[in-house]
Amino acid sequence: MRVLLIEDDSLIGDGIKVGLSKLGFTVDWFDDGADGKEALLQTPYDAVILDLGLPTIEGLDILKAWRNAGLDTPVLILTARGDVDERIKGLNSGADDYLGKPFALKEVQARLNALIRRRNGVTKPLIHFKNITFAPDTKTVTLDGEKVTLAPREVALLELLLLNKNKVLSKETIENKLYSWDEDVASNAVEVHVHHLRKKLGKDIVKTINKIGYTLED
Amino acid sequence: MHKFKVIPRLSALLNRINAKILKFSLCFRLMFFFALVSSIVWGIAGYISYKETRESIDEFFDTYQLVLARQLAAADWSAVSPNTQHITDKLIKNVENADEEDEAIGFAVFSPDGKMIFHDNENGEHFRFAPQSFGTFNNELINDDDDKWRLLRLYSADGKYIITVGQELEYREDVAMDIVEEFLAPWIIGFFVLLLAIAGLTYSEFRPLKKLALAINNRSADDLSPIDIQKSPIEVKPLISAMNHMFQKIATLLQRERSFISDSAHELRTPLTALKIQLEIVQMADDDAQMRQQALLKLQKGIERAERLVEQLLALSRLEADNGHYDNVEPLNWKEICEHLIDEYRLMVKNKTISLIAEDGAQPPFTTGNHILTALLIRNLLDNAVKYSPNNAHITLKISDGEFTVINSDTVVDEAILQRLTERFYRPAGQKETGSGLGLAIAQRIVELYHCQLIFENSTEGFRVIVKAKSSTL
Repeated sequence: MRVLLIEDDSLIGDGIKVGLSKLGFTVDWFDDGADGKEALLQTPYDAVILDLGLPTIEGLDILKAWRNAGLDTPVLILTARGDVDERIKGLNSGADDYLGKPFALKEVQARLNALIRRRNGVTKPLIHFKNITFAPDTKTVTLDGEKVTLAPREVALLELLLLNKNKVLSKETIENKLYSWDEDVASNAVEVHVHHLRKKLGKDIVKTINKIGYTLED
Repeated sequence: MHKFKVIPRLSALLNRINAKILKFSLCFRLMFFFALVSSIVWGIAGYISYKETRESIDEFFDTYQLVLARQLAAADWSAVSPNTQHITDKLIKNVENADEEDEAIGFAVFSPDGKMIFHDNENGEHFRFAPQSFGTFNNELINDDDDKWRLLRLYSADGKYIITVGQELEYREDVAMDIVEEFLAPWIIGFFVLLLAIAGLTYSEFRPLKKLALAINNRSADDLSPIDIQKSPIEVKPLISAMNHMFQKIATLLQRERSFISDSAHELRTPLTALKIQLEIVQMADDDAQMRQQALLKLQKGIERAERLVEQLLALSRLEADNGHYDNVEPLNWKEICEHLIDEYRLMVKNKTISLIAEDGAQPPFTTGNHILTALLIRNLLDNAVKYSPNNAHITLKISDGEFTVINSDTVVDEAILQRLTERFYRPAGQKETGSGLGLAIAQRIVELYHCQLIFENSTEGFRVIVKAKSSTL
């Protein structure tokens, strides 16, 4: 899951980026509202975390601009002020959920998962595929009821494929979802991750569609 | 000499009485002073009217005595001898039972050799013979009586006999007293009526005050709405007006305090969130030592930031609350303060240079003040310059006549940002430096305390912050 984070506070921004990355998200962090606004127009993010207390440009204005441009990416707003009016204004401007400071990282994760799940039409907290069960909230994978340990990037790839079941995802799309802008991507990185998934979950789990990409097929 | 000492003594006594009854109610004081003053006034009035009445009565009775004496003088006394006294005695006895007023008057007739040949058989019998002071009234003693009598002596018409008519002085005094008492009696009754009336009046007239007290007592602590002034008597209006003014001041102060507390609480949320998140990262780092190390460093940075924010909040709150009444006003040595701060910052800042220019004989914007506040002002300006200038920038502190300037070379601040720099908690976008957003708000407040202004401008030598005395711009 690739997430856009717009937060001007360096310690909070860094914390969310490091924490969510550890939890299997791919995070692009912008401390400037204008750059962040532009980023969503360029990249297919799964969700956005938007701080409303940005100094130069109002967070709400960015949100309205996105919605006006037809972008329907789920947006979680962060507010420092606890007052109800601002939350209502945020939700009315197109936000999908809000969190008031001070919040816990785990809560950010839970809310993001809920938003992404809803967006992908999955309402159940567990995703089943063949003999595999995936829990998006805890990012745990079981094979025939046995817990399988996957690296964060492998979890992200599996989740991506599960949420796009029966669709073919190109290598480029997968790279975009798995890596943030500031990461160098090795040319065979996706192949390596697919290889690991097959080794841990079974040979036939991921299908390669030649020259196009990868998919999970029922 | 003694006469003049009485007045200060009297006034001292009054002061003592006044001080003692000051603690009693206004009603009691009013009644006390009314009783005191009216007793003195009516006492004096009574004494004067007694004196006047006494004079009038003297005139009246003197005339009466004179008329009687003349009538007696006109009589023929040649046939009268001491032996004929018993005839008149009988006559007098006949009328003794009549209800006549005892006017304590008497007469006696003496022969030239001093023998009493006739008297009224009452008081005249005791008159003494004296062959002098004819035609004038004299107050003398008579036989068998301790009181003085007023006597008038005349020669009879034939010049052979001496007529003496007298009246007891005490009687005259009694009459005068009676008249004065009758005159004063209604006043004394009136005094008590007035006293009661004053008590009643003060009670009812002080009702607006009691109502006011009740209204204030019944108020909730945060009700600072003004009291209706229209329904109050003129005397109470200044008090209510003063209280309303006070309420307004308290309300403003309270509002400021509340917004400050609420702003502060909001501002504390951000560093708290940062701390919470970094702590979570430490917890989820597991065996990733590098991740934990990084998070711990950031946690420390976050704690330092929260600490600084709290310190700045306290400084600002104190500055606002004390309204500039700072003690320890002393002559300020700006050069020394600057040098001290520069030494401190040079140790911390490696990639920027800081220097001081003090023009010869230049008077800084304010020359006396609180040393700690002035140091805080310069520190905040220097701190900002150090934080928000690029690497290898040069920072200059400059003391010139009526001005103190901090210049950051190679720094340009956006015009839109310039306007908002002194806002509390304002931090421009894209800050890598952690700050409270209060430094310049504090600087602004200190500068205001010393009747100076803070000017921000971009110039050819860099971004300048100038502390300037307000009067010097005129």
